Amino acid sequence: MRAATATSTEPGVPLFDLRLEAEDLEAVATALRAGSLAMGARTAAFERAFAAQLGCAHAVALSSATAALHLAYLAAGVGPGDEVVVPAYTFVATANAALYCGATPVFAEVVGEHDLGIDPAAVERALTSRTKAVAAVHFGGYAAAVDVLAELCATRGIALIEDAAHTPSATLGGRKLGTFGLAGAFSFFSNKVLSVGEGGLLATDSDEVAALARSLRSPAAGAGLNYRLDEPRAALLGSRLPRLEDDIARRRELVLEYRRRLAGLDGVTLPYRDEDVATSSCYVMPIMLARPEGRPELRRFLSARGIQTSILYPAIHEFTAYRERFPGVSLPRTEAAARAELTIPLFPHMTAAQQDRVVAALEEGLAQ
Amino acid sequence: MSTIEQDVAAVLDTLRSGWLTMGPQTQAFEAAFAERLGAPHAVAVSSGTAALQLAVLGAGAGPGDEVLIAGLAAADTVAAVGRSGAAAVACELEPDAPWGPDLADVARRISGPVRAIVVAHPYGAPVALGELRSLCDAHAIPLIEDCTEALGAEGVGRTGDLACFSLADDRQLSVGEGGVVTARGEQPASTVRALRSHAMTSVTWDRHRGHAESYDVLGIGFNFRLDEPRAALARSRLARLDDVVAVRRRAARDYAERLRAAGVLAPWPQALIDRASPLAFPVLLADAGARAAAETRLEAAARPTTRPRAALAGGQLTSASELAARLVSLPIPADEESAERIGAAVEALVGPSAA
Repeated sequence: MRAATATSTEPGVPLFDLRLEAEDLEAVATALRAGSLAMGARTAAFERAFAAQLGCAHAVALSSATAALHLAYLAAGVGPGDEVVVPAYTFVATANAALYCGATPVFAEVVGEHDLGIDPAAVERALTSRTKAVAAVHFGGYAAAVDVLAELCATRGIALIEDAAHTPSATLGGRKLGTFGLAGAFSFFSNKVLSVGEGGLLATDSDEVAALARSLRSPAAGAGLNYRLDEPRAALLGSRLPRLEDDIARRRELVLEYRRRLAGLDGVTLPYRDEDVATSSCYVMPIMLARPEGRPELRRFLSARGIQTSILYPAIHEFTAYRERFPGVSLPRTEAAARAELTIPLFPHMTAAQQDRVVAALEEGLAQ
Repeated sequence: MSTIEQDVAAVLDTLRSGWLTMGPQTQAFEAAFAERLGAPHAVAVSSGTAALQLAVLGAGAGPGDEVLIAGLAAADTVAAVGRSGAAAVACELEPDAPWGPDLADVARRISGPVRAIVVAHPYGAPVALGELRSLCDAHAIPLIEDCTEALGAEGVGRTGDLACFSLADDRQLSVGEGGVVTARGEQPASTVRALRSHAMTSVTWDRHRGHAESYDVLGIGFNFRLDEPRAALARSRLARLDDVVAVRRRAARDYAERLRAAGVLAPWPQALIDRASPLAFPVLLADAGARAAAETRLEAAARPTTRPRAALAGGQLTSASELAARLVSLPIPADEESAERIGAAVEALVGPSAA
């Protein structure tokens, strides 16, 4: 992120910054020099390595997490007339993938501002005879209640799909997220914990699901889909994967430091608990503002001090495309969280000085 | 610097920049591609398959509509068109290479539900589109050129309202996986651009530069984005496309000569080869039996033929299915030292009886 937009004289603190190592560049260069760039040995090797770190039987490399969600829903048997229960507090792909299958996304509430995972009680209320799958998003790297949901889904004969876009390596009860349901959908988008540019992956223990995903990702299957990854991207992912745990460890240190310093700050609450950080992949640092109406002004204030922020997420049911198709959806907890959330900078090589600047600017901005 | 090292440098510089999606490299590639094709708009996407789906949607077709498939199309094209929700309806072909559309049949099939016409340039040979263009204009139906096999062929992509290109691994310009949609009009271009990235009103790059506070989602889109390293690679390779096409034309001429010498009918006339960007070299065999035997020999010689043609649903086709039953396509070696491989492919095709 060399093109930061700080208006101060100091260089800005970006929301996210990517730093690759020499060995990563060499891996990509070697893949390019090999000639054929189509999915091959490097892709297969990365798939094996990712499955091993996750502890699942199969990993299928794909073009995006959106593709992984689409194939996961198809593998769950989702088709026209069916319903998929999804949170609205997520990236739009979680719901769009249901529409690709001809199905209807049915939105369920989050637990609350302290836990932005889908509420199992709300999921249970949303189930109908047409429900084929439930999608849980591990927001920001923190586990949704997939242990509870796995039991609920098993009882009702419904597939649980984990949107694990934020959690390449995080756990719940000692078990990796993305392995609780029929399939887990992972993202390697450019700002993710393990990033490549555009890329994704479907993880599953089911031989049938893996075979379906492997077939459908190629246009040769006749489904009109090309969801393949390629060798240069697989090479970059394969090179970065061994450093994933170190990157996440550093993210956890930074998040704990943020939490120590922001805990007593007036006007801000922090979702999740300090003890959740140790098992989170800490994709982003979300804070919840007591005065949501002051958010645009606070963001301008931070931006003027070179601090880049974002909003994760605008609620899906409030988007124009969804209001038109599914009017009248009311999710008070989701809407409150979506208005209150502010994402502040976090990346593994963030310095203490950068973190100081973010905290100081927040303190100043909130005091105004 | 050798050509591959130029490519490597372009990709590594992009990786070092730390910005990996939908940024300055993608914009620069799109601008270079648009200029090369003489198109007002170019939108880089994740694959040729995605390009076709987006182009059909960009042309305004969707569920309940029909899209005519004019000329010899690959099965993949038909499936990609189907992803838009529109029904693909096949049209009869001209009997001779490059197997463009039977215009009288296309005209007969134009009716109320037809919202777009897709025409392919099979194996990289350009199909003449003047009359089809007039037909489309007379009925106010958008024309989409499927150039996913034909990047670099003379004139392709310059007649349609939209055109689709593939940057897949076996193509004239490969980045691994990738594609492009070009468009003449602002409206289809903006539709394709929006749907490539979930119909979001701003992309990460805009928000990164502080140009957008948040975003709305205005339609049901996809993740069909290309990323920055592939865009950088594509731009590096686009500058050498003419050289690649020249090598491929030489290989096609070599095939034509050797096949003529072996008494095999090579359907591409010399004049067509001179304007083509050959992806594969089509050969017409006497019947389905001869084709099956030749394919077996080619497979055994590790010369896999290209993908199936025109496997359209509903058994609507007559000329295309007859043609597809007799067609094999031989691989075009993309490097200078191709003579030996071309010879081996011809030998495998012709079989021991003629050897």
